[in-house]
Amino acid sequence: MSEHLLEIENLRVSYRIYAGEVQSVRGISFCLDAGEILAIVGESGCGKSVTAKSIMRLIHEPGTILPGSHIYYKGEDILTFDERRLAMFRGGECSIIFQDALTSLNPTMTVGKQIMENIRHHRNVSKARAREEAIELLKKVGLSEPERRFRQYPHELSGGMRQRVMIAIAFANRPKILIADEPTTALDVTIQAQIMDLIKKLAREEGTAVILITHDMGVVANVAERIAVMYAGKIVEQGDADSIFYQTAHPYTEILLAAVPRLDLNSEEELTAIRGTPPDLINPPAGCAFCTRCGRTMEVCLREAPEMLRLGETHQAACFLLNME
Amino acid sequence: MAEMTARRISLPANRRILTEEERRPVSTDRLNGEQIARRQTTYWREAWHRLRKNPIAMAALVLLVLLLFMILLGPALSGQDYVNINAKEKNRAPDAVHWFGTDTLGRDLFSRVCVGSRLSLLVALVCSGIQILIGCAYGGAMAYFGGRVDSVMMRILEILNSFPYLLVTLLIMMVLGSNITGLLVAMCVTSWVGTARQMRGQIMQLRESEYVKAANMMGASPVRVIVRHLLPNTISILILDLCSSIPDYIFTEASLSFLGMGLSGDVISLGVLISAGKTKMDFYPWQLLCPVAVLVIAVLAFNMLGDGLRDALDPRTR
Amino acid sequence: MNVAKYLLKRFAVMVLTLYIIATATFFLLALTPGDALSQRVERLPDKVAERLYARYGLDRPVMERYWITMKGLLRGDFGESIIYEGETVQSIIREKGPVSARLGIQQMLLGVTLGLLLGILAAVGKGNVWDYLVVCISILLISVPNLIFALLLQQVFAGKLHWFPVIGWPAEGGWFSGWEYTVLPTLAGCFGYIASYARLLKAAMLDVMGQDYILTAESKGLSHKEVILHHVLRNSFIPIITRLPMSVAMCITGSFFVESVFSIPGLGLYYVNAVAAKDVTIVMGETVIIAAIYIFVIFLTDILYTVVDPRIRISGGKR
Repeated sequence: MSEHLLEIENLRVSYRIYAGEVQSVRGISFCLDAGEILAIVGESGCGKSVTAKSIMRLIHEPGTILPGSHIYYKGEDILTFDERRLAMFRGGECSIIFQDALTSLNPTMTVGKQIMENIRHHRNVSKARAREEAIELLKKVGLSEPERRFRQYPHELSGGMRQRVMIAIAFANRPKILIADEPTTALDVTIQAQIMDLIKKLAREEGTAVILITHDMGVVANVAERIAVMYAGKIVEQGDADSIFYQTAHPYTEILLAAVPRLDLNSEEELTAIRGTPPDLINPPAGCAFCTRCGRTMEVCLREAPEMLRLGETHQAACFLLNME
Repeated sequence: MAEMTARRISLPANRRILTEEERRPVSTDRLNGEQIARRQTTYWREAWHRLRKNPIAMAALVLLVLLLFMILLGPALSGQDYVNINAKEKNRAPDAVHWFGTDTLGRDLFSRVCVGSRLSLLVALVCSGIQILIGCAYGGAMAYFGGRVDSVMMRILEILNSFPYLLVTLLIMMVLGSNITGLLVAMCVTSWVGTARQMRGQIMQLRESEYVKAANMMGASPVRVIVRHLLPNTISILILDLCSSIPDYIFTEASLSFLGMGLSGDVISLGVLISAGKTKMDFYPWQLLCPVAVLVIAVLAFNMLGDGLRDALDPRTR
Repeated sequence: MNVAKYLLKRFAVMVLTLYIIATATFFLLALTPGDALSQRVERLPDKVAERLYARYGLDRPVMERYWITMKGLLRGDFGESIIYEGETVQSIIREKGPVSARLGIQQMLLGVTLGLLLGILAAVGKGNVWDYLVVCISILLISVPNLIFALLLQQVFAGKLHWFPVIGWPAEGGWFSGWEYTVLPTLAGCFGYIASYARLLKAAMLDVMGQDYILTAESKGLSHKEVILHHVLRNSFIPIITRLPMSVAMCITGSFFVESVFSIPGLGLYYVNAVAAKDVTIVMGETVIIAAIYIFVIFLTDILYTVVDPRIRISGGKR
């Protein structure tokens, strides 16, 4: 149907809670090409993690992916996959890494077993072969003494080592897509860079496309080829990294960029903090969701939601400031 | 800066252009007013809402209220006396006059069950109160003093805990005799251990939590910290505790009577009635079944309510 | 700290705990008004009564009796029963222990197995008919005292239908002898386990199912069944193990009622009778032994914990 590896069309996800229906993701569309690194950036609660989980169909009660949403993988809609197809897709063609590796690894299973599980579930290999492969993977993600690590439990490893194990699990079957959901947020700054480099290196070697979910524009700058900025369940601007950084079109992107600590600025210039809080997604405003924090709000912003405008080959943004002469 | 960068973008020519009116800037004051004030859903309101949506818990609540009415007003409604001995009306089966029948001495069983339930419930309430008081004080002291005191007090708890509950209760009843004081002491002597542990854990956890530390740092008085932060968090534990301990006490009282170690003399409790009914169960089964039914319904209602409360107070479980 | 040192320390604490329990029990019993002999000696001449008291050492001062009792405990000699002439605590335990043990083990095996199965059913089918059914059954079972179950089962299946004997217990013989006597008592005692284990396992499984590593397991493409079998079950059994001491306590209290309803000559029945008759030696002896078993089970639980949960190591304590 299309040449894109992954194409997301009008994805909408809601959570039913006591207070009402939280519209976490409100109709987003984007695509991912083979081998590229796409970053989805936004504050916490903007729906970026929910988007990531939706691609793996990991949305559970009380959340639902609403009808009308489509996630095409090589032209097939993931949302229509049956159990068997889904079991092949998850972990085989698409892998995910979560934020906190300590809680994301089974505490009562050795690291090695958890890697082997992914290998043996997707490929019909012997136990011994899977073991060899797992140890090979541990070596590949940069763990010393892989044989010993293989036998250890998650709590016996450091935070950085655990995230490396998660990466080993994710790459076990040479997936086409890797979703990294805030993979470095829980780690020390020095280790963050190492982990990002590792993901980037492995993705390049294996030809894996990466969707990097993060709130940190600083992380994005070093790795992403394309960037999508999310705010209150919608994509407000997306495009190749250069357009986002140098031809910023949306005021929210601007604020995000201003909030990144930079070494080249002198300390007198203060780091900008983002004022205000994101809107309530139970009763999302009729107009632009960002209008209360924007600073350049106009009458129309309160009444209507801006349309997505094409600004370049890949660059798109939705803001009424662009609808002027 | 924004205008400058925006100018470098090649904007599509066919885009919509805003009118003069649409373009008018909006003041910040109006924006703040415009913000939809989210209805503050407090923890307790949310819990109450969840409880109300739980049919089992609501049924239990209704059942409890009905039961309470029956216990308190029952004898007045049936117009029967619970002490009147009537030789002509011995061992009657339930009928319109004697709703639960009569016992071996011709006394109206319905009013006896009502009066007995009052005592059983009262004993359970008093014991639960004692349990919570001692538990809170002990647990609070452990958490407050910490260190050596805490570990010594913990050892004491462990020793108390390695005594099976009914065994202690039986022993104390044996020493203090089959009266109300004996019963209260016997049932409460180790029952508070669980409460104390939970309180200690909860307080310790809260004390370490960031927001209590922050409150302390900002100079909030200890009283304020306790009232604002500790109480709301511990009260849900105590409510659950209460809901599981009341049926436990009703149960234990009946069990002790059944084993011949419970209340004796002129006092009437569910346990006394049940153990009296047991001896007649082959010939007059209702004498056993009626008090048992009331006991089971009461315990059932408390358990169902407790279950619902647990779900309502801890959103993770449901 | 190594394992041997840990075990040694635990053992010392266990002995100390047992000693405190024994002492507490002794003085509680010493405080009890009246004694087992007072009724027996009422019509006897004073001389004979004195001799009787002397025989059980009840004429000596409390502290002396305390030392005698404690020395006896050390040697494993618990003394002679006051109401059952010629029987010692040891002989009673040797005789009645196996009866109670068989009953308790049967109840526990049946109850825990059924309870765990129901718990899995409820957790896996959360929100469906099975879940509600299990919740209802377990609340119902928890709310009916097992002595009521015992009485009802006895009335219906033994009294009315004559399927099983009303009371009694196979006298001698192997484990499976006289099974028909054990059916009703086993059933009557197992309901409590079913209810508590079903509820416990359901809660534990739901808790585990909400953990992040379950998402990881799902993201590997494992089916729901595989996730439950390989990831959920093992982790939800950890809190189950904590309940082991509770189960043993339940077994002990359960035996008091079930044994008395079905007239089963076990430790529970003897204990209750001894308490009622103020037979100090039997109460003392049985209390110490039951407490010892209980303490040992608590110890065993801690050891099991370290086996099941790799996060807990003997040296490091919890977490």
